[in-house]
Amino acid sequence: MNTRTLVLTWASLMLLTLVSMFSAQLGTDTRLQPLPLWSATLLLMVTGFKAWKVLSVYLGLSVAPSSWRGVFGGALCLMLALIAGGYLFAQLA
Amino acid sequence: MNRNTAEQALPNPGWGPLSGLPGNPLMWVLILSEIVVFAAFFAMFAWMRAEERAVFDASQLMLDPVMGGINTMVLLSSGLFAAFAVKDVIRGDVRQTRIWLGLALLLGLVFCGVKLVEYAAKIDAGLTPESNTFFAFYYLLTGFHFAHVIFGLILLGLVMWRTSRANVETVTAFWHMVDLIWIVLYPLLYLLR
Repeated sequence: MNTRTLVLTWASLMLLTLVSMFSAQLGTDTRLQPLPLWSATLLLMVTGFKAWKVLSVYLGLSVAPSSWRGVFGGALCLMLALIAGGYLFAQLA
Repeated sequence: MNRNTAEQALPNPGWGPLSGLPGNPLMWVLILSEIVVFAAFFAMFAWMRAEERAVFDASQLMLDPVMGGINTMVLLSSGLFAAFAVKDVIRGDVRQTRIWLGLALLLGLVFCGVKLVEYAAKIDAGLTPESNTFFAFYYLLTGFHFAHVIFGLILLGLVMWRTSRANVETVTAFWHMVDLIWIVLYPLLYLLR
């Protein structure tokens, strides 16, 4: 992996961390309210994208066969689906 | 190209279905098992949150999401230095590899320092694993992750001493896995409400 790709990946991960914090609306008053659905969705999508970047670029999964990319992508999606499902269930309960 | 020749062209010939994975194939087995274990923890957390939503929401307010975000950035930067170490060990530059590993280790220590400050503040405020279900999960999940960080730091230190391509690639993969888990753990505990 070349230096440019590594640095660009790192920069995108840092930026997306800030996007996560922004989408979580961390103001003193807004923290007392549940997140709007768009905000929670954005947060989970950003989290999934960041995790996939680490897997594919830093861990080198991008050069692995598509079957393995599918296995790890599926495991990651399962993890996020469990979190999203539990979150929605709690909001509706 | 016959089957044997095709297998020899893979990153890990002789490892059967794992042959096509880069780096140490056993590290991928560990990564997959860690994802499954943490997914089970996250499912339990989500289930309990649905049962005790008011307790979870009130407890989450006592965490510092900015400090958690800073720690995320520290760990991601440490991962970048570890990736640079792999690049340089492949080039055969052992001295530069050790410098990158040292920087990765240093930022790992910063992560631990911030986490310990956070733990101390919580314990001073009387928030322990016995306070409620949220804090039981908070200490369990972050503590389990913290144990991985400590183990990773020991491995980084050992690889600075015994620097070889295989060692650096394997330990760096472990370190990225620690990053990966934190990337999911941080929004779950600190941000999602």
